[in-house]
Amino acid sequence: MASPDNIVVIRDLTKRYSQGDIEVTALNRVSLNIATGEFLALMGPSGSGKSTLLHIIAGVDRPTSGECHVQGVDVARLNESQLADWRNQNIGFIFQTFNLIPVLTAAENVELPLLLTQLNRSQRRKQVAAALDLVGLSDRSHHLPRQLSGGQEQRVAIARALVTDPALIVADEPTGNLDSHSAQDVLTALQSLRRDAGKTIIMVTHDPKAAAFGTRQIHLEKGELS
Amino acid sequence: MTIPTFILKNALRNKRRAILSISSVAASLFLLVTLQVALRELTLPPESAGAELRVAVRNRISLTNPLPVRQRSLIEKIPGVAAITPFTWFGGKYKNEGGMTFAQFAIDPKALGTVFAEAKMDMTGYQTFVAKKDSCVIGKITADKYDLKVGDRFSLDSTVYPGSLTFEVAGIYSGTPDDRNMLFRQDYLDDSIGMPGYVGMWWLKVTSPEAMPGVIATVEKSFANSSAEVKAESERAFQLGFISMLGNIRMLVASISTVVVFTLVLVAASTMSMSIRERFRELAVLKALGFRRRELFAFILAESFGLSAAGAVLGIGTAYVLYTYGNISQMTHGILISFEVTPRIIGFAALVAALLGIVSAIAPSLAVTRMSVVQGLKTLD
Repeated sequence: MASPDNIVVIRDLTKRYSQGDIEVTALNRVSLNIATGEFLALMGPSGSGKSTLLHIIAGVDRPTSGECHVQGVDVARLNESQLADWRNQNIGFIFQTFNLIPVLTAAENVELPLLLTQLNRSQRRKQVAAALDLVGLSDRSHHLPRQLSGGQEQRVAIARALVTDPALIVADEPTGNLDSHSAQDVLTALQSLRRDAGKTIIMVTHDPKAAAFGTRQIHLEKGELS
Repeated sequence: MTIPTFILKNALRNKRRAILSISSVAASLFLLVTLQVALRELTLPPESAGAELRVAVRNRISLTNPLPVRQRSLIEKIPGVAAITPFTWFGGKYKNEGGMTFAQFAIDPKALGTVFAEAKMDMTGYQTFVAKKDSCVIGKITADKYDLKVGDRFSLDSTVYPGSLTFEVAGIYSGTPDDRNMLFRQDYLDDSIGMPGYVGMWWLKVTSPEAMPGVIATVEKSFANSSAEVKAESERAFQLGFISMLGNIRMLVASISTVVVFTLVLVAASTMSMSIRERFRELAVLKALGFRRRELFAFILAESFGLSAAGAVLGIGTAYVLYTYGNISQMTHGILISFEVTPRIIGFAALVAALLGIVSAIAPSLAVTRMSVVQGLKTLD
């Protein structure tokens, strides 16, 4: 079923949830393979199910039925605690609204996922410095999020996503809150992550210009791949 | 950065709220400690040195009913009685004071060296007290309060007997648990008021603690079925009899303490809930990054516990310093002599603070552990 080249293998994935008395089908029997090292742009209009699909792949939501294997692990079969560990080790998150902790500096925000690892303080510092260097923000490491521009905040978020060296980075509308110049910087950074660090990136976007940075684009429409 | 640094930064992210929370916990715990100490002081009077040998004899009907002086000769003959003195309440008002500000009792002057031997005073004062009928001795606290010195003369208007009496200070005593009383001579009261033949009550000194039960039984038996039946009891029992009259005060203090603690829990729980609700999205992000439920619960608990602990240190510490090193007698104008913050009370207040930290963390923790990452991420900032 899963080819060694596919980091994500999805089969007949369905997600339904209740909205009051109405049952909504967010994903309907979706099947999809994502190859290792791919930069996949997941497109579609609002409500098409693209964020839901991303959340299931990233292990923050569970499917109603079907299978979702990431690096050979059936994510839906892990319990809450196993899933938390798995996310920490395998997934890097980038959100539309950056979601940095406002009372922590850029370096401390990047260090957060490392607090769950066995690394000592100096090892953590080294990795944080490397991650910030990779996104070109070494000189901003002691700045609080409010002292950074939107683009810089998102690059800090990218550094946080890659500091644990995950195989898969998921980005939910990473440029949605940015001006075109900052969006360009962020997308370039993601592109170089794939190219230089060999990361697999899944990016949800409804912006065709952003999607053009991906190596493949797929479209979701009413919960189905089109 | 370490986990404790992260928790500390979160706890202090809204400094004004943190300060107000800590202050409210501190103020409430200060009040709780004060109430507990006051309750202890009211219900557990300090025991004086000679208490184990003293017996109080009062009218069986009530403390306000007098006893005939003829009882003295009978009591003195009871085996085991070493000394006896009358003890009559005068109820005098000093100068322009609105009410009675210190107690005055008429006694046998020689009792100062026998029945109340723990009262320390120089020999000259004692000799003057024995020699001069209108003399009196005053506890150091009252003497200091009114700046009374040996040789000073002053009058007291009695609220019990008609008229007033003038006294000369023969000496100033100290060393009793309550150095506030004034003692003067029973014979002076008898002569001046014109009511010879009655005293308020008797205080006895027995020869040994073993003799006390026998003395108590014999005294009561001696006046059974007489016109003035008596109730005899040890000093401790006599004090506890007074304390039982404070039953409602005990309940009142306990009720106020309960309300203080309950209000404290509500305030702390509300503050923690508010603080966590504002961070739902951040906590969802932490979950997404791999933090487990128990780790988030630990963060919230540590934060809540930290705020409570800071309030406890401030509130209990202030109470301890104030009541240990402050002059409580001066602060309360002599109403309270000591106000001891005991380790037990500190422990109780600390336990309340610890429980407060735990209880106020429960509701927000439950909300966070139940929240899914997706729900949390949808929360508006």
